[in-house]
Amino acid sequence: MTAVDSAAAKATAASAEPLLRVEGLVKHFPVRGGVLNAVRGHVHAVNGVSLAVYRGEVVGVVGESGCGKSTLGKLVIRLIEPTRGTITYAGQEITGLGHADLMPFRRKMQIIFQDPFSSLNPRLTVAGLLKEAVRFHRVVPPGEVDAYVSGLIAKVGLRTEARGKFPHEFSGGQRQRIGIARALATNPEFIVADEPVSALDVSIQAQVLNLMTDLKTDLGLTILFISHDLKVVEHFCDRVLVMYLGFVVEELPCARLHERAMHPYTRALLGANPIDDPDDRRPLTILKGDVPSPLTPPKGCPFAGRCPQVIDRCRSEMPPLENKSDGQRVACWAV
Amino acid sequence: MVALGVIACYAAIGLWVLGTDAAKRLGERTGWWSVPASPLLDALTVERADEVVGAPEIPGFGIRPRPEERVRIAQSYLDEFRKRVNIRVRNRAEADQRAADAIAGIRFAEATPPNWPIAEFRERIKAALDDLDAIAEVGEVDRHPELLPRIEKVERDIASMLVAPAGVRGMLYHARLALGTDRQGRSILVRAVYSIKVAIQIGLVVALVAVLFGSVLGAAAAFFGGWVDLAVVWLYSTLSSLPDLVLLGVLVFMFTGSIFDDVTKPWLSLVPIYAAMCLTFWIGPCRVVRGEVMKIKELEYIQAARAIGFGRAYILIRHALPNTLHLMFINFSLLFIAAIKNEVVLSFLGLGVKVGPSWGRMIQESTPQVINGFYWQIGAATVFMFFLVLAFNIVSDALQDAFDPKHVS
Repeated sequence: MTAVDSAAAKATAASAEPLLRVEGLVKHFPVRGGVLNAVRGHVHAVNGVSLAVYRGEVVGVVGESGCGKSTLGKLVIRLIEPTRGTITYAGQEITGLGHADLMPFRRKMQIIFQDPFSSLNPRLTVAGLLKEAVRFHRVVPPGEVDAYVSGLIAKVGLRTEARGKFPHEFSGGQRQRIGIARALATNPEFIVADEPVSALDVSIQAQVLNLMTDLKTDLGLTILFISHDLKVVEHFCDRVLVMYLGFVVEELPCARLHERAMHPYTRALLGANPIDDPDDRRPLTILKGDVPSPLTPPKGCPFAGRCPQVIDRCRSEMPPLENKSDGQRVACWAV
Repeated sequence: MVALGVIACYAAIGLWVLGTDAAKRLGERTGWWSVPASPLLDALTVERADEVVGAPEIPGFGIRPRPEERVRIAQSYLDEFRKRVNIRVRNRAEADQRAADAIAGIRFAEATPPNWPIAEFRERIKAALDDLDAIAEVGEVDRHPELLPRIEKVERDIASMLVAPAGVRGMLYHARLALGTDRQGRSILVRAVYSIKVAIQIGLVVALVAVLFGSVLGAAAAFFGGWVDLAVVWLYSTLSSLPDLVLLGVLVFMFTGSIFDDVTKPWLSLVPIYAAMCLTFWIGPCRVVRGEVMKIKELEYIQAARAIGFGRAYILIRHALPNTLHLMFINFSLLFIAAIKNEVVLSFLGLGVKVGPSWGRMIQESTPQVINGFYWQIGAATVFMFFLVLAFNIVSDALQDAFDPKHVS
């Protein structure tokens, strides 16, 4: 990737057409069991999510375990088939595309996984798994594959000796770098980072995040960053979507997150984060109860059962995601 | 380590026999290459295994026949010789009766037992008889004194038959009698060693085919799911609900009378056994690999491969199957033993190996002997099988330990 390319990426970032647009995305997983493996119900993993990611932007998705953020990430790059809704990439709808038609988009969209231990095939060397992807998409001419792979390994901060080694010879942080190298192997423009640092030690988290920041600016990547850690998201992202039980409850810019958060759930999440200043005290909102079962989501707002600001309307009707001031959207009747 | 050594020995012997056998057959058929005749190379062939080397039921395990027994055995051979001489002389009226008597009477009274392989002994008798015929053609010895040296030569030939063979031939001959002979006078040691070939042949073919077939089917079932999975699971559940041995028996029985039931084609005659065992044995690896692939296909490296855009067949072959390799190895060694044991059972029932010796046939043939206290044939077959099975059990145990990620050593 050259400087010209990244300049071009920056230039298009300003344009109005988003690189990725998702509209009304729904994913219900059937639950089978009992006599003749009948469908007994559906896990409502993603419930009508709409979002837009612009070129060069890093959009964070936060939420607690099981809120559907990983499913959203996999839906977006078509690893899972959506039940309903459309995904548009660079102006072209990719929802209904077959295996062959999807190929150019496979090359442009990649994913980084959470667990560096299960995300690498234990029987392939680093060079092996990188070459495989490079050759498949003919990213470079066959004669240049070796040099390209060496370049990739250097780019993610690993030494050249790593080429011939197997994944089990690396530490967690190094393995995550290999995972990043694999995602970059096809020279993509859009990357879904599915909790890329949450399985790592804090010091290693910082290294990997810094690497991703560097790569983002060098290569002009657009990233959908999935995480449960608001601090990491605040540090790394431009915008953040807060998800709860498959719904996006709030979307807001990351700058001055604490002051701007409006949705009671976002505020509770922020409140749960420890503050690194012992003198800075703030009232703590501790949520009671549990997340409702995604098998039988409540009729109204999914957060109504735990919300400190709940009103009658919340229990009967799901609030729409309403535009507030510049780029902020909130789904709450109470604000 | 010891177990691996034992397996290596067995494999070496088996492959050696297999190799010389195949080379001979190929040489006979095409004529472009013939195996050089050497006593060591010829020691383990079907012909050697079926050759009569001694009197019936010479006690085995290093016990030599008692002297009076040996004299009795020798006497029976010499009686036969005398009978044949008499027949020849009678058929040729003009033959000199004195010459016939002289030869027939040579030191036969004080005969020591011939320590020769029976075939060798017969050959020498035949040579002597030919010489005798030649003399008889000419006429009476009295009237033709120049015949005397030739008669003396025949005498020497017969005398030399009473001396035990020496050197490599002698060693091989004694080795052949080391575990005794069976009821037809065939060497038990040669038969037991030769049977390694059949065991290895069946073990290798069945284990290889069953593991590959089962693994691919199981992996495909788990990976593609849907009706493929349903079909495969239905197939193996149905097959495994039938008792293994009954199914094997029926399958092999189905082939009797077909082109595979041809005693003159030993390679073809093993096909029913291969087919029957492969049909029942693929279930084990199939089940195990299916379970493993079901686990693997949810792992993130498979999803990463899908995100890159690889086809499903490619992901299955390149990413999923190699990670079940350890299970294939373990299953291979397990099936290898199972195949050998089932071959023995089938042969015992008369459904297995039909040409050449096998441990199962040896055990089957020894049933009437055991009642009479001749235990060396069943003993030899059992001991040979025991060490091979034990070695494979140890190795498959070690494989399991080495490959099992949950195993903490």
